[in-house]
Amino acid sequence: MRLSPLHERWRRVLNAVSLGLSGVCAVVVMAPVFIILAYLVANGIRSVNLEFLSSLPKPPGEPGGGMANAIVGSFYMVGLALILSLPIGVGAGVYLAEFGNSRYAHLVRFIADVLNGVPSIVIGVSVWALLVVPMRSFSALAGGVALSFIMIPMITRTTEEMVRAVPNALREASLGLGATYARTMWSVVLPAARGGIVTGVMLALARAFGEAAPLLFTALGNRFWNVYLDRPMANLPTQIYEYAKSPYQDWHRQAWAAALVLITIVLVLNVVARLSTRERFRALR
Amino acid sequence: MLRKGATFWSVLVLASSLVIAGCAPKKESTTTTGAPTKIQITGAGSTFVNPIMSRWSSEYEKLAGVQVNYQSIGSGGGIQQFKEGTIDFGATDVTVSEEEEKSFTRSFVQFPVVAGTVAIVYNLPGFTENLKLTPAVLVDIFLGKIKKWNDPRLSLLNPGVNLPNMDIVVVHRSDGSGTTYILTDYLSTVSEEWKQKVGRGKSVSWPVGVGGKGNEGVTGQVKQLPGAVGYVELNYARQNNLTFAAIQNTAGTFVLPSQETGAEATRVAVERLKTDIRSSVVNMPGGNSYPITGFVYVLVDKQPKDAAKGAEVKKFFEWVLKEGQKMAGELDYVPLADEAVQMSLAKLAEVP
Repeated sequence: MRLSPLHERWRRVLNAVSLGLSGVCAVVVMAPVFIILAYLVANGIRSVNLEFLSSLPKPPGEPGGGMANAIVGSFYMVGLALILSLPIGVGAGVYLAEFGNSRYAHLVRFIADVLNGVPSIVIGVSVWALLVVPMRSFSALAGGVALSFIMIPMITRTTEEMVRAVPNALREASLGLGATYARTMWSVVLPAARGGIVTGVMLALARAFGEAAPLLFTALGNRFWNVYLDRPMANLPTQIYEYAKSPYQDWHRQAWAAALVLITIVLVLNVVARLSTRERFRALR
Repeated sequence: MLRKGATFWSVLVLASSLVIAGCAPKKESTTTTGAPTKIQITGAGSTFVNPIMSRWSSEYEKLAGVQVNYQSIGSGGGIQQFKEGTIDFGATDVTVSEEEEKSFTRSFVQFPVVAGTVAIVYNLPGFTENLKLTPAVLVDIFLGKIKKWNDPRLSLLNPGVNLPNMDIVVVHRSDGSGTTYILTDYLSTVSEEWKQKVGRGKSVSWPVGVGGKGNEGVTGQVKQLPGAVGYVELNYARQNNLTFAAIQNTAGTFVLPSQETGAEATRVAVERLKTDIRSSVVNMPGGNSYPITGFVYVLVDKQPKDAAKGAEVKKFFEWVLKEGQKMAGELDYVPLADEAVQMSLAKLAEVP
């Protein structure tokens, strides 16, 4: 069928407009990230200094001080959450990938997805009831457990996807050489899925770093240093929240600095995740 | 392949355990005050008391080596967490009511540690004078009956002041707050209509206005909204250079919130507290007394779960009541009068 010149022109225009619109949408998708980054750098960069990174908070209204304990606290509790969630998440992921067709596995998968969707504040309140009230104290442990509840389903589902993606030929080759099933999993399948799992873990870590809600009712916050699992602990997200709503100029300044530090940590984790994925593809090629 | 995979996973697990085991001791060595063996007590509650509590905590650590970790989660939260036993002491701008106390499983004492004034703040561009307000006018502003800044009743109170033809926007707290309790307690005391229509409480259903979260939220909204009027603790008003009103007291004088006018109010109030700790302390008589003044109360366990910590809590508040009062004025708080200090110390003595 031959199109009339008018019709053809109309289609060209429509094509150009659609392309332009989707291009604009693509820019809009990126814009918030750059706006946030630019805003944080503009407001926070001057306040990120040695004092901020190395000293404890001063009482409100007194200028100076820093968030060293909150930075360490965030790493401490996210590290704790990683120790708790890595074996569980990877173990469950392997189970779902390898034996994932039973009714029980479907249930596990469904529940993991539900847990992934539970609002983080609800996780915080639940861990408060589960750990803080029985222990009769806010604690770093409760904070770590709350964060691990966020990380476990993320790691589980990524591990499952990645283990599934490992070609069956690899498993068959290993089994054919006489390796046990466990040996095949540990030495062949998991290493092959490594890059993807690391990506998932990094993204889960990034998410855990940024969460304030699960820590409000569990880690509570601390003006001082703490290394004990059974005591309250400072962390960046709740500290930003507290400082941002305070009436003190100097605390606002520090909240910006803390936000910049936090987003830097999250960005680094995301970039590392991306790089490890790229390496994986290169290896497969 | 085998060795590579195993190494990788061991490194990952090792690295993550290092995050935990490694960072903390390293940081310990960089600070001389952070010895982990120090006793740490945890308190939470009132946001109003946070600035002075943190100052006390920081001074007390230098003096006694005990770390008092105070977290400002709001008065309601402080009462709740203290009830659950998750903190060593609570702080609140409203006393625990008899009804609430019935649900407590442990016995405790509550006593004031400091007082403060609630400032009526407003934003009239290019306007730095302290407006004069009578209780009746204040009530009608918060009831939404007075809608314009150039309302005749306001102009009459403030002769010579050129009030703008601007809408009044009431800003109130959106969260449960001790500050709200103090203000609504005052409004209920001076106005039968307010008492009937709205009443007193940590959160009430406001007839008009917009909400802000925390003192900071209200401060921020008032700062940004021309024509806004709100209520925040004096500390917050001063820190943010907000203009505040002089309120007519029972003697007919217009007084500004300050350490002195708050102190005069608390001197009378303490007589009432002696007979009943839950007495309303707003609208106190006295020629120079600021009517919207309140106390911050502390909740301390009579049978602490941890005796050593309990003893430290007691020692800390003994210090707060004796030495700590000197610092209160510097931060726009009202130090307790001697009589109030004696009363609180007597309450504290009930703790073994």
